[in-house]
Amino acid sequence: MSALFDVLTEHLDEFGGGLWVTLRLVMGAFVIAIVVGTVVAALRIAPSVWLRRLGGIYVESFRNIPLLVLLTMAYAGLRRAGVPIGQWTAGIGALGLYTAAYVAEVLRSGVFAVSKGQIEASLSLGFSYAQTLRRIVLPQAFRTVIPPLGSITIAMIKNSAIIGVSLIALNDILKSARIVQAETFKTEEAFLWAAVGYLLITVTATIAFRFLERRYVISR
Amino acid sequence: MTYLFRPDNWEWLITGRNARFIFEGFLVNLQLALIAMVFSLIFGLGLALLRISPWGPVRFATGLWIDLWRNLPLILVILYFAIAMPESWRDAYQTAAPGFLPDVLQRGRVFAALLALVLYNSAVLAEIMRAGIQSLDRGQGEAATALGLTYVQRMRLVILPQGLRRMVPATISQLITLNKDTTLVSIIGIQEVMRQGRILTGNNFFGGVQAPLLHVLLFIGALFIVTNLLLSRLSRRLEIAEQLRTGTTLEPISGLEDQVRPVQAR
Repeated sequence: MSALFDVLTEHLDEFGGGLWVTLRLVMGAFVIAIVVGTVVAALRIAPSVWLRRLGGIYVESFRNIPLLVLLTMAYAGLRRAGVPIGQWTAGIGALGLYTAAYVAEVLRSGVFAVSKGQIEASLSLGFSYAQTLRRIVLPQAFRTVIPPLGSITIAMIKNSAIIGVSLIALNDILKSARIVQAETFKTEEAFLWAAVGYLLITVTATIAFRFLERRYVISR
Repeated sequence: MTYLFRPDNWEWLITGRNARFIFEGFLVNLQLALIAMVFSLIFGLGLALLRISPWGPVRFATGLWIDLWRNLPLILVILYFAIAMPESWRDAYQTAAPGFLPDVLQRGRVFAALLALVLYNSAVLAEIMRAGIQSLDRGQGEAATALGLTYVQRMRLVILPQGLRRMVPATISQLITLNKDTTLVSIIGIQEVMRQGRILTGNNFFGGVQAPLLHVLLFIGALFIVTNLLLSRLSRRLEIAEQLRTGTTLEPISGLEDQVRPVQAR
């Protein structure tokens, strides 16, 4: 048992550094996912057929492509094409854009949960389409989608482990654990602490979303 | 943009057997997904039945097992098995692997990948199936008991056909995820489409035409998008058929909301 904790205490720098890298990756990707996801959701329900199609193409492309393909494209692919993209930009960008497709789908279904009468009422009161979206639809949509947004965030945190094993090779939790494993050959211990690291983040996210849910969710 | 669409950069695709080389890799992914799918569905159903077993400790233990595998990053599990799996297990797989599988999938390390994929996906599918079964009206099970059906008859004739059919969209959604996740096995050195693609971009390229990495990846991505779109079209069809037949709509399940399409706009 003590051997288990020795691996952690002797390599606290690696594990701590890995935790911090993963945290920064998921926080950055989360912001991108929410912002881009909202824009794409707005496209998906726009009055113009072409904008709706554009949104649809985004969702179907980014949701159906393997994240590893996207990450490799965003880093090695772009670099070989002569675009000097950084590790962080590529990692956060690809994970964020990938997750945005899921966020957009969930937001769209949230918008559909807002009754049509409210939208008609708002438009007939003279609000513009953008105003209706911003003041009437989205605030309510965001509330109904807190639980699904939570499970997307958890999935995103788990997906972030792919960044470390891709060509981007940032020293995130999993990568750090592999470094420790290669140094010490303590495979079980290294992977167990990596798993604990991811659990720490996912559990924190779960608690945060539970809190938001209790505060804001309106049940219909 | 001009870089992306310049014909020179796409020439590799129609040169020599480059395209065939990519398709061969992609076939490995599809086969891997198919094998993992079959086993995950079988074990997932078993876990789901244990998860709703009338016996408390079994329910609890199964719940722990499911939550454990569901909450670990899949790539962590794949890497762990690839490193930690005993030699004897790999040898056992190598001797047991049926001969009709392609050579790539008969290697020992494929077992590590399959084990990880099945443990993870059977846990997720078990949770989906459990939700489907529990979304049924209680009266269904009670009526079956009252009619004198045994546990097996009740499950086989009444509960499962209805419960599982409701969960077809969520199940296919998870199968799409599984299909995408097969690219992760390239990390542990299984020769599938990502690796085939990387070989094409290397120096000893086929046909004397350089294949840019970005273009190769775009092509691979397009293969996945097309396959997965076909899968989700199938799912949508089955969902509509089910709605027409029974008049039920699918409710989101806690923790799996991203997989079950919530009730559509009226």
